Amino acid sequence: MITERVSQPLRVTFRLLGSVALVAAVIFVYYRIVPVNSLTVALTLVLAILGIATWWGFTESIAAAIAAVLGLNYFFLPPIGEFTITDPENWVALAVFLVTAITASELSVRARRRAAEAIARSREVERLYMLGQVLLLSGSVRTAAREIVNSIIRTFEIPAAVFFDQSNHEFFRSDERTTSIPDEQLQRIAEIGEPLIDQDQQIAIVPVRLGGLAIGSLGFTGCTLSTAALNALANLVAIGIERARSIDEANKAEAARQSEVLKATLLDALAHDLKTPLTSIKGAVTHMLAKPRDAEEQELLTIANEEADRLNRIVVEVLEMARIEASKLHPDRAPHNIEDIVQATLKAHEESLKGRKVALQIPESLPPADVDFEFIQQVLKQLLDNSLKYSRAGTPLTIATELAGERIVISVADQGRGISIAEQHKIFDKFYRGLAWRDNVPGTGLGLSIAKGIVEAHGGKIWVSSEPGKGTVFSFAVPMFKGELVR
Amino acid sequence: MSGAKILVVDDEPQIRRMMRATLTSSGYQVDEAKTGEEALEKFRAFLPDLVLLDLNMPGMGGLEACRSMRDGSEVPIIILTVRNTEREKVEALDAGADDYVSKPFGMQELMARIRAALRRAPSSLQSGPQGFASDDLEIDFAQRRVRVREKTVRLTPKEFELLRHLVARGGKPVPHRELLQAVWGPDYGDETDYLRVFINHLRKKIEPDPSRPKYVLTEPWLGYRFAIPEE
Repeated sequence: MITERVSQPLRVTFRLLGSVALVAAVIFVYYRIVPVNSLTVALTLVLAILGIATWWGFTESIAAAIAAVLGLNYFFLPPIGEFTITDPENWVALAVFLVTAITASELSVRARRRAAEAIARSREVERLYMLGQVLLLSGSVRTAAREIVNSIIRTFEIPAAVFFDQSNHEFFRSDERTTSIPDEQLQRIAEIGEPLIDQDQQIAIVPVRLGGLAIGSLGFTGCTLSTAALNALANLVAIGIERARSIDEANKAEAARQSEVLKATLLDALAHDLKTPLTSIKGAVTHMLAKPRDAEEQELLTIANEEADRLNRIVVEVLEMARIEASKLHPDRAPHNIEDIVQATLKAHEESLKGRKVALQIPESLPPADVDFEFIQQVLKQLLDNSLKYSRAGTPLTIATELAGERIVISVADQGRGISIAEQHKIFDKFYRGLAWRDNVPGTGLGLSIAKGIVEAHGGKIWVSSEPGKGTVFSFAVPMFKGELVR
Repeated sequence: MSGAKILVVDDEPQIRRMMRATLTSSGYQVDEAKTGEEALEKFRAFLPDLVLLDLNMPGMGGLEACRSMRDGSEVPIIILTVRNTEREKVEALDAGADDYVSKPFGMQELMARIRAALRRAPSSLQSGPQGFASDDLEIDFAQRRVRVREKTVRLTPKEFELLRHLVARGGKPVPHRELLQAVWGPDYGDETDYLRVFINHLRKKIEPDPSRPKYVLTEPWLGYRFAIPEE
């Protein structure tokens, strides 16, 4: 490109000389070799000037026209051999000749330029089409961006190009020649959305946008593309990148779904595999326990049975925790009366609640909660279990519900020893067991973290307040049902 | 009903071994099946009095096997499974199972449920009504026959017992526990979900509009009652 720029004036000079020489040659032939009248000479010269205009350009044809006027005047119009004209008719003839030559030249040049432009446009369209095909076949955003840069260079025969991906803040440069386009400039063009075409530096930067959405920018060096082509190119790239991005996102969502399905399947398989041997053990042991045995055998079998139960509880809780962590917990939410859930929980735990007074404080005007019945029952059961475990037998419990804003708060209060402030922060952690109790109260330390996981899966919150020596209140808030109740 | 024939369907050999040993020593005749397909074959060949059915099996699963066995047979089916969510329980009952025990279970509990299922509903008809008749519903307890809008409807034994018990109480509400104990056995009482499923089945069969029942009504918090339409 640079060598061409240097030789440009030299080439024009040669052409100018060539044009004058051609005119001189025509005049020489008609003046010395084939004598004809001045009209024939003039028409031949117009033909030559048209040819020069078509092949070389307007400047060259003007030079040829001037040379022709001078030649006609000197060699063919009387007085011959002088640059003067006596007959005013010949003045008119010369003027007409000059105007005709120049106008024809201009028309010819214009037609040639149009043709060249048309060819260039069609070439650009062809290249855009090729680029479009490349974009449609490329996969992720990263490969698409790299492909874009490479195929722009290849198909548009541009020395170097760079693509700036705004959302990932990445620059894809074809090679080091693009360093004349700094990162900041690419970012700025992407932000303001206006193209920058610098003829001196031979660089062009266009924003890449889709609708109002800024996607990034494209920079070129030594670019000869028209503004229209640059815009078309930018649009094409925008569509290509957006397409790649939506495919990326679909793939990610699918991958996440598949991994969730895989985890769920694994957890189900694990639950099955852990519980199956427990079933055989427990079945066998309980069958033996059902028959009269001596005290020692009875005691040993009872231990085996209790430990099988304990192992089962651990399996259930660990799997539950794993499910919550695999975020596989999808509460099946529907409007439910909290009172129904409380009653169902109390009913299911009649046995363990024997000898305890449970006071219920449930306002009648309470709206239904938007929850999964079973899950919330499980939370309530966990809180009840906790209160039962950590308060003396015979002390009363209170279950209270209230509306707080758009949430329903359910709390379970006991009159146990309470939990110190320091421990209150830890009790919802996995595997945490109360310091004073861990050795003599059974449990895995998972119950409250499971309750927390369930409440959070409902978009709710769980907390504890306690006064050591007086008792503990566990509370959780779940959203109330806001839709229309359909019977 | 000692000496009753029990078909144990489970893909786990150790569980089949354990079940065979415990059930045989309790006086039952036992046959085993490893898959749902085999269960259906044995069901026809062995003619069990009761089926213990695992849900999670390769090939034809337990639910499908349950549906096939229930189709045309009243043999009690008890589901034994590691899964214990409400949804799965309801699915199994909907497929025609009579009872649902989650693994692992105590043998005494299972035995009690087997005994209850085998104990055919006591035919102490003298205590109850002989029948019921209205415009669109006719029940003959002695013949165990129900006609809805002139057409005979087939009820499963559990559905029939539920209906009989509700009608016997002459329009008074029957608590959940009482219904469960009357129909399933004395060891039951907390399985209100069983009632929900079976009452639903019953309504579908006898109510003109099951979503707006006029015979089998729900008594919130308490149970169900059979409403005798006013003339």
